Amino acid sequence: MNDPTLIGPCTDYEHDLVDLHDGTLAPDRARVVRRHLEACPRCRDWQAKFAILETRLAAALPRPGLSPTFDAKLQQRLAALVRPPVRSDLRATLEREHDSLIDSLRRGARRHAILGALGSAAVMLCALAAVRGLLAQGAGLVPSVADGPERWLMLGIVGVAMAVAALGWSAGRNGVPTLGMLR
Amino acid sequence: MAMDAGIEQHLAAGRHARAFDLVVPAYKDRVFRLAYSILKERAAAEDAAQETFVRVWKALPGFDGRAALGTWIYAITRNTCLMELRRRRPTVSFDDPDSTEAQHAAASIASGPAADPERDNLLRLVDTLPHNQQEAVRLFYLEDRSYETVAEQLGMPLGTVKNLLHRARKRLMELARPDEVKAA
Repeated sequence: MNDPTLIGPCTDYEHDLVDLHDGTLAPDRARVVRRHLEACPRCRDWQAKFAILETRLAAALPRPGLSPTFDAKLQQRLAALVRPPVRSDLRATLEREHDSLIDSLRRGARRHAILGALGSAAVMLCALAAVRGLLAQGAGLVPSVADGPERWLMLGIVGVAMAVAALGWSAGRNGVPTLGMLR
Repeated sequence: MAMDAGIEQHLAAGRHARAFDLVVPAYKDRVFRLAYSILKERAAAEDAAQETFVRVWKALPGFDGRAALGTWIYAITRNTCLMELRRRRPTVSFDDPDSTEAQHAAASIASGPAADPERDNLLRLVDTLPHNQQEAVRLFYLEDRSYETVAEQLGMPLGTVKNLLHRARKRLMELARPDEVKAA
């Protein structure tokens, strides 16, 4: 219970006495409080008891510290939380990259195949037109080839030879075009 | 706080993992001491500190900087400790000397390094204080008598902390036996 003798004007000084003890009281106020202390036995007693209590509390209250394994335990707990999402994220990222690479390769292969086929057709048509012109000019020199079914057979052989050459060239560069049908 | 500025730079840049790497060493001791002042048990306080940092780690990407980082972390610590107290005993009365907390405190006193009846009696007296005064007293001496640190950790204005401590000291001076707290 509160001591009735502690109720009164002196209680106004208690906060000041604490601040004086802590060394945080303003100098002007500190002078006033010291003057009061000289004249007031009750406040001197309070101040002395307070100082003893402070010392005893500071000495008595436990001051535990963290264990040395705190950081390691925390890392373990966090790793248990982190690992699954990181793994799944990594797998998802790799799968996305893989799919993107496959799509890109398929698109490239299609483009290559179409361009290769068009190029081959154009070369064949040009070559056929050139051979036909040569044959027409030299009809007199090779009459037996220029006329009749042999003429078409020869044109066919030349065409097939050119197509084989075009496919060989294509295979040498990027493989046989498959129009992206093979993975 | 300079350390907080570095942490907040990482947070602003979205580098949450790096920010967290700075948060733990900067706050672990104070978080532990705050937890200890509430739970009064070393092991429980350390568990609460672990739980606090796990929560901080989860919530750090959502930290918006409206409150100071320390204020935010200490609020998480206090909530974690209060949840632990509720988990122990849903209808705990903090001021009940027969409460689990008071019994834990008595047990920790009894298992102290050296028997000191005066010290034990003073600690028992501290345990009879209202819970908010107990917290303030424990934290004040754990934090090297810094009112500002205690105010920040308890999320209270400085004046409130000073009043709590003043009431606690007066009460202890009244409760202490004349031969325990007497003028030299």
